[in-house]
Amino acid sequence: MIKQRAQHGHATGKAIIAEHLCKVFNITKGTLRRTKTQVVAVKDVSFEVDYGELFGVVGPNGAGKTTTIKLLTTMLIPTSGRATVLGYDIQRDVTKIRERIGIVLGGERGLYTRVSAIDNLRYFADLYGVPADVRDKRIKELLQFMGLSERARDRVETYSKGMKQRLHLARGLINDPDLIFMDEPTIGLDPEIARETRKMIKELVEKGKTILLTTHYMFEAEELCKRVAIIRSGEIVALDTPSGLKKYVMDTSVVEVEGFGITEKEVARFKEISDVLSVSADLGENKQILKIQTSKGSEIISEVQEILKNSRIYDIKIKEPTLEDAYLRLVES
Amino acid sequence: MKAEGDMPKMPQALKVVYSAFRMAMLHWIADPQWVIPNIIAPFVFTTVALTLFKGSTGPFGLYAILGGGIMGMWGNTLYSSGFAIEFEKWQGTLEEVMAAPSKLILVIAGRSASNAVFGLTNMAAVLLIAVLGFRVPLGIENPLLFIVALILTLLSLSALGLIFASAFVLSRSAQALTNGLETPLYIISGSMFPVALLPFWIHPAAYILGPTWGVDAIRLTASQEYASQTFWTGMGTNLAIILDLAVMVLITLAYVVIATVLFKMVEKRARIQGTLVEA
Repeated sequence: MIKQRAQHGHATGKAIIAEHLCKVFNITKGTLRRTKTQVVAVKDVSFEVDYGELFGVVGPNGAGKTTTIKLLTTMLIPTSGRATVLGYDIQRDVTKIRERIGIVLGGERGLYTRVSAIDNLRYFADLYGVPADVRDKRIKELLQFMGLSERARDRVETYSKGMKQRLHLARGLINDPDLIFMDEPTIGLDPEIARETRKMIKELVEKGKTILLTTHYMFEAEELCKRVAIIRSGEIVALDTPSGLKKYVMDTSVVEVEGFGITEKEVARFKEISDVLSVSADLGENKQILKIQTSKGSEIISEVQEILKNSRIYDIKIKEPTLEDAYLRLVES
Repeated sequence: MKAEGDMPKMPQALKVVYSAFRMAMLHWIADPQWVIPNIIAPFVFTTVALTLFKGSTGPFGLYAILGGGIMGMWGNTLYSSGFAIEFEKWQGTLEEVMAAPSKLILVIAGRSASNAVFGLTNMAAVLLIAVLGFRVPLGIENPLLFIVALILTLLSLSALGLIFASAFVLSRSAQALTNGLETPLYIISGSMFPVALLPFWIHPAAYILGPTWGVDAIRLTASQEYASQTFWTGMGTNLAIILDLAVMVLITLAYVVIATVLFKMVEKRARIQGTLVEA
């Protein structure tokens, strides 16, 4: 039976099939007067992931990325809809799925910091039922792959952020999973370590692993993912290859303004202009960057100068739209 | 020396319990805070108890020492086990543990067992302090049965700890209620003084607690003079001890069944609500 199901998964060539997945949370508030509200975290989400594919899910905070991962990893039961992971049903075949998948959650938590990397890996290997002889060999290999061999016996609390993240990755691979779920694996990492992490992710795909990755960073999705789903308020609003997603904004251009003294009020005024599709502003203390996505092209420059007449403008550039612009347009529309 | 890889294969469930036990022991060793509940607190308690019972006739010193040790075991085993799931949450490892294919109850059982071992160090500390520091003659009459009774009582406490662990996450009220029940539990279970000295209406509550029977057995193995106060008065001491232990084992098994059901509820709730704590 198990074999048949697994074969079914491979026969269809799909590592993940999600069909109309929905997750609604009931939230109770108050002590004396208890009020119940419902929060729809995931709404009618459907997609498929091929074996050996690196599939990305991007979206703003609270969009439903983590809930989607938790549904597919059997940590949550869907309110409605169905999904299969490696050919197994997420509601019925919980143990079968858990044995064959790896989970890498971002951040510094999720590790026993008072003990060593070896003890962390050994513990999780036992929880995943890895035989003792295989376990010890695999731990050695993983520590080597992650560049942690020299510090393997030191307490994790003495590790840097990057080392902890590499240990997270090693822990996610301890059962030699066919499919790995990575929830924002580079969040909070400095650029160098994030690049190192991305390199390791690429190597895993080269080794034949299937990966579902969520991220906030569009350049990361563009660099790593074969296909990307953009999720907004629990719904998938677009699903395509990074270049396919850029087509959503092919008819537009991005006006990038570098200046000083730009206010939130002025940013809001840009949003009111017709033909402005999205506006993003990085209003730092020393340098401010405003990105206006528009179908007007260079015609908008005079309006930009008018709105920002009280601010200092250092530079105005007209750029080709990137995946980030496509993302912003889809998320804000 | 035998390499770890050459060890005989354990069934997966036992392997998970052992691994969780090992991880908890590593944390105990890494965190020197255990010195306070396991060495300092027993020392203070033993000193106070022996000062209070100074000059009394009868086995009061022994009662006080055993009572102190048993209370230490209660606190250590029951409450540490009760907060085992919370510990994972504080560590930030609960999601990773919950996502693994092993049953959560096995992980918590391993933690509970390690707490039991540390509960034992508490009892050992009390005994050592009494004998070496205060020259109290212990003269345990049946040392072998004393050790058996002690170990089985610890297992019973661990099983009760599993119920507490699941109840704590199923209801915040259970957590608050249990904190308030700590001292009454010590009294009801006969840890402070024999159950026979308690009002009759409290007895049913005392006898549904597995450790009550264990405490009875521990006292019987330690002193003949206690035979008049046991539930099995009139029977031979050894028979009374065996009956005590048999009843405790049955109650402990019932605890395990209840804990299994409660843990299923915990895991189901976590998968439906996405949280392990009731809002």
